[in-house]
Amino acid sequence: MFKNYLKIAWRNLLKNKGYSLINISGLAVGVCCFILIALYVKNEFSYDRFHTNADRIYRVWQHENYGPKEDFVNTTTPVSMVNVLKNNYPEIEDGSRVHRFNALVKKDKAEFNETVRAVDPGFFKIFDFEIIKGNTTNPFSNANSLVLTEASAIKYFGDEDPIGKSLSLEFNNEVKFFEVSSIAADPPQESSIQFDILVSFQNEALFFGERARQSWFNVSVESYLLLKPGQSPKLLEDKFPVIIEQYLGDNFEEDTFFLHLQPIDEIHLNSSLPPGLEPISSPIYGYVMGTIGFLILLLACINFITLAVGRSFSRATEVGVRKALGAFRKQIIHQFWGEAFLVTLLAVLFGIGLAFIFQGTFNSLTGKPLAITFDLSLLSIVAGLVLFVALMAGIYPSIVLSKFNPIEVLRNKMGKGASMGLFGKSLVVTQFVASIVMLIGTLVIGRQIDFLVNKDLGYQKEAVVVVPTNMSGDEATTFADLYVTELKKQPLVANASRSIFSFSENGWIDVGFTDGTNTYQEFTVNVVDPGFLKTHNIRLTEGRDFQEGSSAETQNGVLVNETFVKRFGLQDPVGKPYDKFDINIIGVMQDFNFESLNNVIEPLMLTMNRAIFEHIENVSIQYSTQPRVSVRLKTQDLGGAIAMLKTEWEKINPAQEFEYRFLDEALSAQYQNELRSRSIVNIASILSIFIACMGLFGLATLTVARRTSEIGIRKVMGANVVDIVTMISKDFVKLVLIASLFAFPIAWWAMREWLQGFAYTVDIGWWPFIAACTTVVAITLITVSFQSIKASLANPVKSLRTE
Amino acid sequence: MLLQLNNIFKWVQQGGQRVFLLKDINLEVEEGEFISVMGPSGSGKSTLLNVIGMLDTFDEGEYNFLDEPVHQLKEKHRSNLYKQYIGFVFQAYHLIDELTVYENLEMPLLYKKISGSERKAMVADMLDRFNIVGKKDLFPTQLSGGQQQLVGVARALITKPKLILADEPTGNLNSKQGEDIMELFKQLNDEGVTIIQVTHSEKNAEYGKRIINLLDGRMV
Repeated sequence: MFKNYLKIAWRNLLKNKGYSLINISGLAVGVCCFILIALYVKNEFSYDRFHTNADRIYRVWQHENYGPKEDFVNTTTPVSMVNVLKNNYPEIEDGSRVHRFNALVKKDKAEFNETVRAVDPGFFKIFDFEIIKGNTTNPFSNANSLVLTEASAIKYFGDEDPIGKSLSLEFNNEVKFFEVSSIAADPPQESSIQFDILVSFQNEALFFGERARQSWFNVSVESYLLLKPGQSPKLLEDKFPVIIEQYLGDNFEEDTFFLHLQPIDEIHLNSSLPPGLEPISSPIYGYVMGTIGFLILLLACINFITLAVGRSFSRATEVGVRKALGAFRKQIIHQFWGEAFLVTLLAVLFGIGLAFIFQGTFNSLTGKPLAITFDLSLLSIVAGLVLFVALMAGIYPSIVLSKFNPIEVLRNKMGKGASMGLFGKSLVVTQFVASIVMLIGTLVIGRQIDFLVNKDLGYQKEAVVVVPTNMSGDEATTFADLYVTELKKQPLVANASRSIFSFSENGWIDVGFTDGTNTYQEFTVNVVDPGFLKTHNIRLTEGRDFQEGSSAETQNGVLVNETFVKRFGLQDPVGKPYDKFDINIIGVMQDFNFESLNNVIEPLMLTMNRAIFEHIENVSIQYSTQPRVSVRLKTQDLGGAIAMLKTEWEKINPAQEFEYRFLDEALSAQYQNELRSRSIVNIASILSIFIACMGLFGLATLTVARRTSEIGIRKVMGANVVDIVTMISKDFVKLVLIASLFAFPIAWWAMREWLQGFAYTVDIGWWPFIAACTTVVAITLITVSFQSIKASLANPVKSLRTE
Repeated sequence: MLLQLNNIFKWVQQGGQRVFLLKDINLEVEEGEFISVMGPSGSGKSTLLNVIGMLDTFDEGEYNFLDEPVHQLKEKHRSNLYKQYIGFVFQAYHLIDELTVYENLEMPLLYKKISGSERKAMVADMLDRFNIVGKKDLFPTQLSGGQQQLVGVARALITKPKLILADEPTGNLNSKQGEDIMELFKQLNDEGVTIIQVTHSEKNAEYGKRIINLLDGRMV
């Protein structure tokens, strides 16, 4: 008997190949999306929970408030703080600092620019980072100890045993040799602390000057504390002010300086605090993705069920015959539910397969290297899903059809099928709403990105190559100047210039100071050479450019932008100093977007002399200040030009690797997040349209089945194909229009919110709305036409036959 | 001459064998005739009616309708022809459940692109003539079988066809209701409408002026 059921189930699938394919692939796509998204969401919410002591590990953050414009929150903290806290509070079991710095790592002849982290000996005791090789108990037995991850060990040593081998690190113009003491496992993806190379904090004198090591106003390291079991972080926080007063000494002011503890598992998703050394995320992404994943799955399931029910009408005769031949109702129920289970299982397995196939694509979208692992929770969700969907999909044939008197069924009294009713319609409308919103999103985001990439920034970005020196101090400046001089002699070079920042770096030096009227002011600084404006084709509105070789200008000449003049209310600024700075404004530049278009143009000062920093109270630097050389080329032959730049580089600095980037490409890369959003929205809109089409197809099938005899009558009464197709399509177009009414305000609101993240935006305009609606109408007509044309071409004699 | 069938054959291929549904049918119908087609189940009555109504095709032979060679006409032309001249009445009435009596009557007129005011007049005229004005806003399910068939006949007549094709119009009705419909047909025929009906009942067949007997697709 079971074999008979299986045979019938299989033949039914084959008989309606197209139908089965659509039905199964629809659910499969839903399952695939759900699995991938569940993976992402699970990852987002499981950051840092892998530490055994996760509930006792806290990161210290610092809050300083000196007035309305001088409110500073930092998740990096003073260098000396961890030890002070550890020595003063018995509640603290252990603590470790994490400091991140860039160094040139050398092994024999090979050199790599690396991000290295310095940590305290407590690091491996507090956190669950595993040491798999070498000195497992005390990896930092002396100041020269160095820990590599598995990945970086392979990078430097390949198959060799790295333990005991030496590496040299060069930073701040000093070279120091380290010995590899241990190998640690690569830190998990869901860790807020990442590392490739670790050195001991005993070397702190190498990274920080004497003042930086003692001052509590200089924040540069992350501080982690492990509390003793049962200790309350709140009570501990309350005890901090005593220490703060003690260590700030004369600088202490009541209620201005606070220290707080943040549980480690809240670091990743708490976007109210600034990120520390690693990027953080907003829980919104997790919630939005989770909702999308759940909705996609839900809609896919409902569509699957609708289609399955729609198709089961054609099985009425079979049920009648089986009953007439003596089948018990129970047997019929078993058969149809078994069949539904089989099809559902097939679809879900297919979906899991798809998830494995598209895992790589999904990872490149989210930027997270995640791997599908089937743990108990995911398995039980999938199993529950199969059961639920099969139960629902089989409910009509097994419960309703089996109930009927076989004679009635055989007489085909019920061949007409049930209408989809309000439920089916609202389902399709919901799916249309999602599709239309996604489509509008695709169009608006696409337009905004085109705008960002193509906007006139006020300087020339084409044919400009940026060469970082990867050196620091006076040596770097001397080298860069020499390189610039040599390049200017080249026929392919239009101009060249040295500056400590180039344009693709978001955030030049932000400086803050208190001006003559006792107001706190902020502006941005870049240190350049006299060729900067000429190289980048920046225009002047007043005054003149730097003069080459004028020592007075090298000393105190500056260029400011229009915003600087406006913001600080300067009158005829050229030739005058500004506030207490010993400077001479020699020109005013037309405003240009030196930061990404997410930000408005802020006051900017270009100087040739670092002495400007004398009167500055707050300095914020996000990138290394190693000078870059910008070169504007005269040629279309970029390959040849790069070869020339490299040759010139090697002539004066053969030891170091030549690096370069094209300015326009680097600028586009700033919008990586936006580009990623665009890919995600593009894919989501394609998926939502695909799934909406499934639902639509199901609804159209049901409608046509229900209206077969009506269509026949109308044809006999003189309706032609166009009349019939129009009649059926009209209802669906109506649904699209209703969906648009809901979708337009949602899309408008969502896009406005998104665009608020940019200082410069396109108008949303009306055409994305019209375009999205029209597209969906067109897709609807095409989807429905499969059924409606078939129905309208059918011979009415067949549908009207009485016997 | 309204229509003429010459040597009409219709068959289906079944397991390499031709099964004949219609075999060498020759029939001439003059305007104003009332013909009853009789024969056992499967003898091809309905098929013949569908061929005459141009709803179904045939495989061999000639069919002239009002001197137009139907066998040579394109699909579009053919459907224009039957839309204009033929009305259908079905055993199961085939009214549209979602439309009221009024809307059901109006439907064929919509497909003939008749203007709104004219449609109104024609529907009102039909309602009046069949005494169903009071039922015009009811849905088919709210009517008895006889009343539904009355609407079916009215719908067939509303486009003023020359020929009414009725496939067992009384098959689903009780004898009293059936008699009413037959009387109606007789009256229509007296007014000049040509009628071809398929029936099982000797009594109803008597209403026709001529009786055609079919057996295994052949006229006997």
